[in-house]
Formats: sequence, C-alpha cells, structure tokens
Amino acid sequence: MSRTLICFAVSCWALLFTAGLLCTQTAEGSLVNEEVKRTVDLSTHLAKITTEVLLSNPGRSTVNSFVVALEPELAPHVLRPFPTHITQAERQLVVFQGNHYLYSPYLTTSQTTRVRLASKNVESYTKLGNPSKSDEIIEFGPFQDIPPFSQDPMKIHYENNSPFLTISSITRTIEVSHWGNIAVEETIDLRHTGAFLKGPFSRYDYQRQSDSGISSIKSFKTILPASAQDVYYRDEIGNISTSHLLVLEDAVEVEVRPRFPLFGGWKTHYIIGYNLPSYEYLYTLGDQYALKMRLVDHVYDDQVIDHLTVKIILPEGARNIHLDTPYQIDREPDQLHYTYLDTFGRPVLVATKSNLVEQHIQDVVIHYTFNKILMLQEPLLVVGAFYIMFFTVIIYVRLDFSITKDPAAEVRMKVASITEQVLTLVNKRLGLYRHMNDVVNRYKQSRDTGALNGGRKTMEAEHRTLTNDISSLQARLKVEGSDLADKVAEVQKLDSQVKELVCRSCQEAERLVAGKVKKEAYIENEKSLASKRQELINRIDSLLDAL
Amino acid sequence: MELICLGHFVLSHNPEVWILGELMLNCSWGGVGGDSIHRIHPALECHSLVVSLSSFLLRFNYRSTHHLTSNGFYEFLNWFDERAWYPLGRIVGGTVYPGLMVTAGLIHYVLNLLHMTVHIRDVCVFLAPIFSGLTAISTFLLTRELWNQGAGLLAACFIAIVPGYISRSVAGSFDNEGIAIFALQFTYYLWVKSVKTGSVFWTIGCCLSYFYMVSAWGGYVFIINLIPLHVFVLLLMQRYSRRVYIAYSTFYIVGLVLSMQIPFVGFQPIRTSEHMAAAGVFALLQAYAFLQYLKDRLTKQEFQTLFFLGVSLAAGVVFLTVIYLTYTGKFSLSLMRYLCPPPRYAKIHIPIIASVSEHQPTTWVSFFFDLHILVCTFPAGLWFCIKNINDERVFVALYAISAVYFAGVMVRLMLTLTPVVCMLSAIAFSSVFEHYLGDDQKKDKEGLGPNIKSIVTMLMLMLLMMFAVHCTWVTSNAYSSPSVVLASYNHDGSRNILDDFREAYYWLRQNTDEHARVMSWWDYGYQIAGMANRTTLVDNNTWNNSHIALVGKAMSSNESAAYQIMQSLDVDYVLIIFGGVIGYSGDDINKFLWMVRIAEGEHPKDIRESDYFTPQGEFRVDKAGSPTLLNCLMYKMSYYRFGEMQLDFRTPPGFDRTRNAEIGNKDIKFKHLEEAFTSEHWLVRIYKVKNEGSSRTSSFLRKARS
Repeated sequence: MSRTLICFAVSCWALLFTAGLLCTQTAEGSLVNEEVKRTVDLSTHLAKITTEVLLSNPGRSTVNSFVVALEPELAPHVLRPFPTHITQAERQLVVFQGNHYLYSPYLTTSQTTRVRLASKNVESYTKLGNPSKSDEIIEFGPFQDIPPFSQDPMKIHYENNSPFLTISSITRTIEVSHWGNIAVEETIDLRHTGAFLKGPFSRYDYQRQSDSGISSIKSFKTILPASAQDVYYRDEIGNISTSHLLVLEDAVEVEVRPRFPLFGGWKTHYIIGYNLPSYEYLYTLGDQYALKMRLVDHVYDDQVIDHLTVKIILPEGARNIHLDTPYQIDREPDQLHYTYLDTFGRPVLVATKSNLVEQHIQDVVIHYTFNKILMLQEPLLVVGAFYIMFFTVIIYVRLDFSITKDPAAEVRMKVASITEQVLTLVNKRLGLYRHMNDVVNRYKQSRDTGALNGGRKTMEAEHRTLTNDISSLQARLKVEGSDLADKVAEVQKLDSQVKELVCRSCQEAERLVAGKVKKEAYIENEKSLASKRQELINRIDSLLDAL
Repeated sequence: MELICLGHFVLSHNPEVWILGELMLNCSWGGVGGDSIHRIHPALECHSLVVSLSSFLLRFNYRSTHHLTSNGFYEFLNWFDERAWYPLGRIVGGTVYPGLMVTAGLIHYVLNLLHMTVHIRDVCVFLAPIFSGLTAISTFLLTRELWNQGAGLLAACFIAIVPGYISRSVAGSFDNEGIAIFALQFTYYLWVKSVKTGSVFWTIGCCLSYFYMVSAWGGYVFIINLIPLHVFVLLLMQRYSRRVYIAYSTFYIVGLVLSMQIPFVGFQPIRTSEHMAAAGVFALLQAYAFLQYLKDRLTKQEFQTLFFLGVSLAAGVVFLTVIYLTYTGKFSLSLMRYLCPPPRYAKIHIPIIASVSEHQPTTWVSFFFDLHILVCTFPAGLWFCIKNINDERVFVALYAISAVYFAGVMVRLMLTLTPVVCMLSAIAFSSVFEHYLGDDQKKDKEGLGPNIKSIVTMLMLMLLMMFAVHCTWVTSNAYSSPSVVLASYNHDGSRNILDDFREAYYWLRQNTDEHARVMSWWDYGYQIAGMANRTTLVDNNTWNNSHIALVGKAMSSNESAAYQIMQSLDVDYVLIIFGGVIGYSGDDINKFLWMVRIAEGEHPKDIRESDYFTPQGEFRVDKAGSPTLLNCLMYKMSYYRFGEMQLDFRTPPGFDRTRNAEIGNKDIKFKHLEEAFTSEHWLVRIYKVKNEGSSRTSSFLRKARS
C-alpha cells in the first residue's frame, strides 16, 4: 500500500483540466482517496477550489496514473448574482452552487470541505452534515466513505461585493520587428457581470457615500512586462486621461481607470498597447528564430477571459512557422498583414481560445526561419524610391518637354551662352596682359632678354588665338542677329589699343635696360602708359558689364 | 519655403501637445468645443474658451470622412444619415461640401496603396497643418506677383504664424476652412497670373483651383464676386486689355461649369443673386470688347449713336429678364448668406443664427488679438499698392477692402481677412526695409543718416519680434487646447484634466441601446453622433429651425408638457451640460434664453421669453427667479440633487459656481425621468425618459401619418 498526497486546484470559472488529461489507463477501483481536504474560496468573483488528496493504493499492482474527474455540469460563471438586479445603494448577493463531495472516480474514505466567503453576511447555505460557520468560513464534514462519482448539491447564498469584472473578449496583437522592437496591443471588452444596476445612477450618492455602489469598479491594475515602453491607453474617441503609470523594478504597473465607473451590466472597451525590446523575447541561431512570449498577459488580478484572440505578426519573409503552445488553442487560417514598406505581406498567426484565467498566463514559443538578407529589402526599397525620384527630376530638368517652340527664347539662350564664352575669353586676354606686365618687371631686374622675348612670344601666340576665338564668336552673334556683336567689336577695338600699349611698355623697358632712356623719363613714360591702359581696361570692363 | 512650413507645423503643435503626448494628440482630433457661448463675451475671453461653430463640425467632418473611406465615394454621395435629425434624417451627400473629406480620403487612399498603414484619423488630424504649409507657399507666390520676392517671403512668414489663421490650422482642426484658405489664396495667385499673362493655361489652372475651393467651402462666393469686381473696376479704370478679356471669359465659363459639378452647389451659380454679379460682368465685358472692336472700324459719330442705343437696349433687356425670372421664381434674390448676413436682420428674425457666437460682429479687441501689429501696418501696404497701381494691385486693394468689410460683419470671416492683411503688411514692411536697409553705395537723396536708418530698422524688428511673441502666446494658450477636454490648474501649477464630455459620451456609446435616441441642444449634436454614436434629434447643421424649436420647447416647458413632446419624438435619453459644480460658463443654463427664444419663435402661444425673467427683467436661478424657470425641464435637470451638494464650507448647499447664486428650487423630483448618468464633475448629465406608455414605437411617425 502506498500513499501519495496530491493537490490540485480548480477555478470553477473555467475548465482547467481538459479531457486530454484523463488518462487512457483507467484503473478504477484500484485507488482510494483516503483523506480529502477541499477548500472552496468564494471570496472573489471566482470560485477557487483546492483539493488535497491523500491517495492510497490497496491493490497489489502498481498504478502509475490517477484520474481527476470534474462534474459534467461544471460551467463558467458558477457564482450567480441573486437578486440579479440591485439598486445603487444595495449590496450584491451571489449564489454559489457546487458539490459537497469531491467528484472522483475513486472511493473516498474521509473528506472535509472548507468554504471561504467574501463576508460574514450569509443569507442561506445547505446544511449537509451540520456545517459549522464562523465569520467568513463554513466547514462541512467530515464525510465518511463516499462512493465514486457522488454528487450532492451545495448552495450558498451570501454577500459578495467584489467586482465581477469579466473580459468578454480580448484581442492581443503581437507585432515582431527584426529591427529591435515588439509591439503589443490589446483590445479589450470589459463587462461587469455582477448584479445589474436597477434604477438611477446618482453621482451625488456615489461621491458622498462611501458604501454607495460598493460593488462597482473604479479602477484596476494591469501589470505589464518590466521593459514595456511607450504605453498607451485609449479607445475610439481618443486617449483616456484617467490612467496612471508606475514603473517598478520588475514590472510596469498601469492603473487603468475606465472613463466611467462600471456598475453591474455596464461595459466598456479600450485599447492598451506598448513596445518591448525584442532582445528579451526573440532568440536566434543563424536563420532560425524563436519568439517566446506570453500568449495572454495580466489584465487584472483574478482575471476571467471569455474569449481570447491572439494575432502574432511576424516579419515579412518568415517561413516554416511552427507554434509550441503550453495548452491547446484553436488555430485559425493564417492571414497576411501589410504595413510600411511591405511588398508581399507579413504572415499573421491567428489563434483563439475561450475561458481563460490567470493560470493561463504562460509562454508560447514560435519558431520560424528568416533569411537575414531580407532585412535589406526595406532600406533598399527606400533607396530605390529616392533614386527613381531624383532620376525623374534630373530627366525633367535636362529635357525640354514643352509642346511649343519659342524661337525668341531659344535665340536668347544661345546669345547668352555665346556672351558667356566671350566674357571668359576676354577676361583671359586681360589676364595675359597682367602676366606680361610681370614678365617685364622681372626683366627689368634680371635683364634677361631671352626670357622677355620668350614671354612676348607666348603672349603674342595666345593673344592671337584668343582674339581669333572672340572674332568667331562675334561672327556667330551677328548671325543670331544680336546687337551684342557691335559691343564685342568695340571690345576688340579697345583691346587692340591695349595690346599696343603693352607692346610699347615692353619696348620702353628694353630701351631702359639698354640704357637708351633715362630712368626718370622712363618712369614718367611708363606712368602715362599705365594710366592709359587702365582707362582702356575700365572701358572694356564697363562694356563687358553691359553684355 | 520648407522652413516656413515647418515653422508653421511646429507652432501649430504647441509645446503642451508634446508634453501631454498621446493625450493631446489623440484628443486634439476631437477638438470639439463644449461651449458655444451665446452671451457676447469680450472676444479675448471667448477665444480662451475656444468658441467656434466649426469646431463642432469637426466631429461631423471626421465621421463623414470615415464614411467615405469605408464605403467609397458614390456611397458617400448617396449617404442618408438616419442617425441625425430623428425622425427626419438628413441627406448628407448632397448637403455638404465634399472637398475636405475627399482630400483626406484621397491622401489616406494613396498612403494605404503604398502600404503606409496610416489611420484616417491621423490623416484628418494632420491635414490642417499640411494645408497651412501650402497656404504659406501660395501666399508667397501671390505676394511675389504683387510686389517682389522679399515681400513674398515676409507674407509667407506672417501667414505661417498669424493667430487669425492658426486658429483654423492647428493639428486636429479638421475643418473646411483649413483647406479652403489654401484654395482661396492659390486661386487668387492663379488669377493674378492669368491677368498678367493673358494665358489660357493659367486661367484653366485658376478654374481648377476655383473648383477645388467650391468643393471645399461655401466661401467660394467670395471668389466669384471678387474676381468680377476686379474686372469691373479694371474696366472703369480704363485698364481693359486683351489679357483681362481672355482671363475673365475663360474663368467665368469654365469656372461656372466646374462649380456646378458639386452636388450641393448644383444650379445655384445660375440662379441665386450672389452669383449674378459674375454673370453681369461677363456680359459687360463681352459688350465692352465688342464696342472696342467696333471702335476701330467706325467713325466717332456713328460709334456714339450706336453706343447709346446699345447701352439702353442692354439695360432694358437685363432689367426685364431679372423681373421675369424673379417673378416666375426661377431666380431668388436670396441673401448672401455666407458673406454678409446683416446682423441686425438675423438677430431679430433668425435667433438661431444670432445665437452662435461666431456670427457676432467682430470687436476691436478681436482684430488685435488675431492680427496684432499687422492690423496697424496693412493700411500702409494698401497705400503703397494704390500709389504704384497696376492691374494686380487693383485686385489686392479690392480684396483688402471687401475682406475688411466682411470681417467687421462677423467674427468668423476674420479668416478671409487674415491672408490679405499678411500680404499687405509684408509689402509695407518690405518697402520700409528696402528703404532703410538699402545699399549704402547709392547716395541718399533724402540724406538719411546711418543713425536714423539703424533706429528705424531696430524699431521695425522690435515690432516683428513682438508679433512673433504674441503669435506664440496666442497659439499656445488660446488655440491649442482641445476644447473637449477642459483643464484646470492647481495652486502648485499642476494640471487637472476634466474629461467629463468624453466620459459621458463614451458611457452613452457603451451602455445604451444602439438605437437609443438622445435629445440635447443642437450644439452637442455632432459630438453625440460622433463620440457616442447615437441617434440625435438636432445637430449643428441647423437646417430645420422648427425641429430645433421643438427641442427648445421641450427644454423650456415643465416636466409633463416636455414629457409629451419627448414621447412624440421617441426620446430615450436627454443630455444636458451643467457647469455649476466647476464654474464652467458655457453650459446649458447660460444658453437657455436662446432655447426659449427659438422656441418662442415657433410656438409663441406656449413659450414666452418674458415668463423666464423676474418682474425686474432679470434672469436669475435663485429664489427670486421666475417660477416658470424654476420648474422648467432644463432647470430641473441641471439642478437635480444639486441642492444637497455643498461644494465649499463658505457657501450654502446648492451654490451654483457659474452664476454665483444659491439655487432657488432645491426640492426637485422627477415623474417621468430618471438620472441615468452624471459625469465626474457633473458637467454632463444624462437622464433616461421612463417608458410608461405601452406602445410608443415611433408614435411621432404614426402621428405624422394620420
């Protein structure tokens, strides 16, 4: 004979233990529940049943499994408000309907049941076996030798003002980005499933009397992961301004206050979202990725979720997706999601599940492969778009798309370009004279006739080509019929005078070096030459300005 | 130009928006004022509370844009909204200017085509700042055409920050005017360009821009009157040219055809009097051009005879035609509703128009508040323009003069004045700077010393700086807080947010029947439709005065009489705004006299305004108040259980902070109503109409049928 102590808990709201747990190897009759201690906690809106079983095996063969059975009629929402409608001043009474005995396939030798209530006020309760009541606790039993699958209805009608908050539906969207962020958004429909509010809602009473609307919900706390950032809390008509955010060491606490207090039967709807750094949840090895996230997260303590939809949006190009869930969930066909810079869409996994409680807050692991090269796709797309844009602008600016030809404008443009050329050439020519001046000055010091002659020769040559170029441009201007040609001709005329002056100053310098003129006379002469030259150059400049 | 747009953008979002982050961003799109204060406050005070009729429209605009994006354009044109004006409903598609919605919808469509998953709400929020950037650009272009590049830049800077325009272009101000001012400026730019060049290309551009303006705002009437006026004045000034002929003939014909494509406008351009000036000028221009043509071919004597004959004949024909058309009713000499509702007339005959604060005449303070230094400098700019007159400066002079007149008529039209004031002030400043900052090389003829120059320049810069400071201040204080959320400041400077409006609307949305009908004063109609998504009886599109009067009558009757009206209208809930707890002055009791007046207009037998005053002629809510007031539905709903409430130890229970009086009727009991919801600060109170009659399924309709 061996004995084992087994402890399990049932939150009556939801069926935690599904049929899958029932072992195939049923060995009824071979085991005996020797001592059973049941604790039924009815102090919140959930009924939490904890059962401690001392199990013995009177038989000889070893038993390696043990069957937990649940009442077939066990259903969500076992705590029912009664009366179903109360006024704002009234307190909320609820009825619990359960089983006095442990529902088990085995014989139970001895059992006690302890029920914890929310308050001292009890309207009525079943009196099986003369239970003892003290304050908030009712003790049933001990009951002896209960046959397998015994049921005896237990009914307790008591005051329970704890808020009966139910999430009628929640959609949790997890969007993974390989650029380092995971965005989580939860769209939540909340409902107060306690006794309905009957009659008026008086704000005056609610503000002035502390026990008015005692079972209503003002606010609750949602605990988000510690790394949550950029938390938002809003609904269809904008941000809900009544929330508070508290950053703790190991979590981020949001005090969620619906826009209005929730009374029995009232509902509300909101969206809460935040960002998480992906390095805490996304694991990678080569091209293999694994995302480990909670399938459902905390919304409020002792939460009850009627219907959950989880959508996991993976990066574009994720393949071989495989889902590891801690419990069974219903997969729905995958979808595609298009957002910024997407081309062929991001895969979306959709899963649903009904009737969840706090114990369902567990991790889910999604494995997938992703080619890292694909990370470059989006930046390249942007680069490409800009490239095309700039290229179009380049083409547009360079080419002429006008449907009419404007000959006048064309001539104007041609003339402008020719004048431009003339300007550069004339300036170059003036530069030549300056250079020649330098050569002459140097010659006066070094008296190197060879250098002077060389300089003069190059100047002559360059001058000739420049003058020829300008003359040809002048001819072109004439062809275009522009009156600028005359001005250019004038420039040419002036220029030849300048050139003459330059040559003369050159000769003068030669004579000075040869000692043919006196220094004073030379300086005088040179001065007048320079001033003449300057005058001519000024006239050329003014003509050029007019061009 | 980017800088200017950016500057506008940044200014449009005042710093607080960022401080409050999500909060403001999200609620700014619902920037719906809770207070159309009917009493005529000094404008300064009004502005700080954000008074604008159109701010109520935002909700509606957003709702219809949403409808457009989710159901498509044709469905939008055919949209019959049965959730408004219960039980009549409202044809929305044919009674709105669709430009705004189509613009936002188009942007949203294009962005989504590129997989930019931007919500239509965000598009709507940022539409106004984007268009204000475009307005700055078109103002620059227009001023450049009128004066020079420097003045253009200054004008763009001015329009980017001037409060008169910021009020309509802050993020979240999703309003017709937001895009219409851009269309207005751009149309004028293209018009000036067409008159200058005489090119059909520019004129067609002008027509397209005009078409956009027609689709966006009723203020298009301003354009279709100003441009003919310009042409007419040019003719008078002997400035007729072939350019003007080409520009106006093309503009009138193409613009007319295009404007008639908007369902809401329809045949108005050829029927109503506000469009007749354009037609007249068109005819005149043709005649003038014809005469010019003849002049070249005839002798002086022949021409004179022909001229007199022609003129008298034309005058006779026009006169007889107008008489005939008016007589047969094909043509109505209606008032120019948008441009000049004579305030005196409206105040006496249409209380509903007079009851909107935006339709009040503009005060001097408001001119200064909205335009600051520009209001002083723009006459100088006008003078510069007139002194160096040419074709397009005639236009801007006319623009300025007419806009000043309209802005004086009604606060709301301040908006049309703002751009021209910016342009002319820019011209004034630009000329002054040109003069005093001119090249030193050119010899001063007047012999201005460098000291005078620098002093004048400094002074001008000081003025501009003060203008910038004023604009920033106004933007951050008056025009940026979303008026659906009220904020109060504690002694330590911390901010308290009173989010009562949305609290109550959201309660309606979540916890009432989907088809519940909510009765409220028309100010809150669009808000209820938008935020609470419930059927309303009357709303801000005040097209049916008698229906509004019926609601006003219900509010001002005693409970049992009101109950009958409410039963006949199938009312499920009644919503009122009550500011007595927090001292909010824009509440329903303060508006109450308008309800009485409007009700009296339609039901003079049942409602008399004098009944609501004390014998001394005062409107009082305390014990001395008239018994009719103290027992009417509005009073009872506002003060239900308020008599028990002691807000302060210094004041007695039931002390109304808004009106600073202890209420006169503290024992309020309801027979047919019950309190359904009151928001945290009592700002919004919702009552449920008890359903006593067994069958009250649309008794109104049954009555209507029988």
